[in-house]
Amino acid sequence: MNKNVPIIELKELSKKYNEYGLLVNALDGVSLKIFPGEFVSIVGPSGSGKSTLLHCMGLLDRPSSGILYIDGKDTTKISGKEIALFRGEKLGFVFQSYNLIPRLTVLENVILPGLIMRKEQKILEKKAKILLKEVGIIHRINHKGIHLSGGEQQKVAIARALINDPVVILADEPTGALDSESSREIMGLLVKMNDKKNVTSVFVSHDMNIARYGKRTVALKDGKIVGDTKGDLKNLNKVLKNLVKSKR
Amino acid sequence: MGVSSILALGELKDHKRIYTIIVLVIALTMTSFMLENAYLNYMMQVVDDTTKLVTSDAAIVDKNSNIRDLYGTELELKNAGEIVRRIEKNLPNYKATIRVTAQGTYGLGTVGEVVDGCTIQGIDPKKDNSISGIANKIVKGRFFEDDDPILRGHTPLYIEIKGPGNLPDFTYGTGEKLLGDEKPYPIIVGASAAKIHPSVDIGKTFSITLSVSSRETSYASIMVKVIGLYESGTPTLDALIWFMHADSLREIKRYGEVTGKDWYIPGIGTFRGYNPIVIDRNRGDVVIVNAPEPIHSLNPLGYADYVKEEVKNVVPFLKIYSWHDFLIYIAGSMQDVITIMLWGSIIVTLFLCGAAIKYVMDSIIMRKTREIGSLKAFGARDRIVFRIFLYQGLIIGFIAGLLGILFSLIVMYLVNWYGLSVEFISGTQLKVGFIINWLSILIALVLPVSLSVLAAALPAKKASRLSPVEALRKGELSL
Repeated sequence: MNKNVPIIELKELSKKYNEYGLLVNALDGVSLKIFPGEFVSIVGPSGSGKSTLLHCMGLLDRPSSGILYIDGKDTTKISGKEIALFRGEKLGFVFQSYNLIPRLTVLENVILPGLIMRKEQKILEKKAKILLKEVGIIHRINHKGIHLSGGEQQKVAIARALINDPVVILADEPTGALDSESSREIMGLLVKMNDKKNVTSVFVSHDMNIARYGKRTVALKDGKIVGDTKGDLKNLNKVLKNLVKSKR
Repeated sequence: MGVSSILALGELKDHKRIYTIIVLVIALTMTSFMLENAYLNYMMQVVDDTTKLVTSDAAIVDKNSNIRDLYGTELELKNAGEIVRRIEKNLPNYKATIRVTAQGTYGLGTVGEVVDGCTIQGIDPKKDNSISGIANKIVKGRFFEDDDPILRGHTPLYIEIKGPGNLPDFTYGTGEKLLGDEKPYPIIVGASAAKIHPSVDIGKTFSITLSVSSRETSYASIMVKVIGLYESGTPTLDALIWFMHADSLREIKRYGEVTGKDWYIPGIGTFRGYNPIVIDRNRGDVVIVNAPEPIHSLNPLGYADYVKEEVKNVVPFLKIYSWHDFLIYIAGSMQDVITIMLWGSIIVTLFLCGAAIKYVMDSIIMRKTREIGSLKAFGARDRIVFRIFLYQGLIIGFIAGLLGILFSLIVMYLVNWYGLSVEFISGTQLKVGFIINWLSILIALVLPVSLSVLAAALPAKKASRLSPVEALRKGELSL
């Protein structure tokens, strides 16, 4: 994979909602390039459009205008059926509330995206065990999702996100429902996976301390990018300052 | 197993309590359907067996005869043989035979016995369509045999008395006791009649007074000997319908070339006694028609109407009564009403079950929106989500149908094992039985499956159409 060719590229991406008859610009001409292997945090206050941006990047929502390339493909031009397939093959998701299926075991939860992609169950199970070992939850493999703690559930969710070898992992407030210790553990795990597997990761957080885990931070305000460290951590304080300033 | 079926099974397991109740309600509805249907089939079979002894699939009578006349007072069909030939020529696979009929009275003048009536069906033991029906139902004695004394070679001794004033002419004939060596006519009677009449039993000889002309006061008293008792399953009809050889009745009713001398006695009337007769087998009172078996018996009543119409097209100048007409005549439209009510109650119950399934699934979908959103995020296409809920409906319906069939089979087995029977007319017991046909099994399986699939399809469609982001967002809200 060419490190200089963006894995995700947004060109003038906009998303408008009609809420109670009022037109809301959730994203307003956002242009952004994310390169392979990057670990990007998107920060911004509530309502800044960071979740909408993540949903658009995850093809869970369609932008109102603009172009979105993922892995070289213009996703705004692909049909609904293809989008589902594309999402399953190329993207991995980690949600704030883990979204494990409570009645399924840890193993079953992890292999679920693979089964949806019609992959062979035995191969999936083998791979899931490796992933569960990597995230440190192999000892709970046969436990039901509902019996795990928040941190444990999120670890399972990370393993699940990786089962289909995605090109990008998208995490929406991955520590939003966790205590500080679990948060640190999960963020550490995401960093580790990014380092080890070199999988591009984008996560959204409203917590500046969590955002600092990103090797690159993009700040969003009113649907616009107001700061981007562009991989240089020296810029982080400046970006965050900008964000705080614009908050006022 | 596909991901949809794994998740569908999981959902069923998660909601096993409510789904078990729904499955049981549907299963019990299907049990009731199966039992009522099988019992109706059995009763239909019982009544059908007896009814068809008289009418078969259709009965052709003179245009001035009515349905009541099928009990033995039809007007004569002089060209009955021609009608038979026409039916068999124009309607391939249809069989037609001539019946000669009469109404009889017995017990007259017997000490300690009530006078009773019966309808005598004169059958051709070799050709009559219902022959196997009668022959197989003999419970004591035997069926007609070739060396039975069917014919005397002469008519009974008749006297015709001119009716004075407005009174009709009166004809009375007798064949009994005037010639000492006369053998009685063989007759097969209903077993239920033998139970209540001591003189009616195998080997017993007694006299019957027959009404030999339906629209005239014309009677003949003849001697009969009981050679067999039959039981069709409907004792009332057995007591009523007896069988003689058609030729015996032709002889008694003078259906043939009668020769011999008449004596006129002034002031009394005309004696036409023991006239030699060559019976004419083309003459009869009714032509009964047997139609080929229908391909399916989903609508036997509709088929009866169809047969009637077919026959009507061949003999438009005569009156046709279908087996169903006769069934309604003897049983009223009770059978039809029960069938309609049965279907009505089943449809209402199933509709309610369908509504319950839809309601339960709607509420599940509302609670599982986030799960649906996650599945979509993992690449699940609409049809995968659709199938999760559709399979639940399919499984519920299938299990309910199977259980319904199983429950009904158990009940039927227990009833048969116990030998349940109900009190019937003439001191007889009517056994409670069941006849299951493949069609009702198919209905008991297909109906709940279609219903629950249909009920599940609506919420399934709704779930599958949820956009992933909307589902995830709604899920967050419902937390």
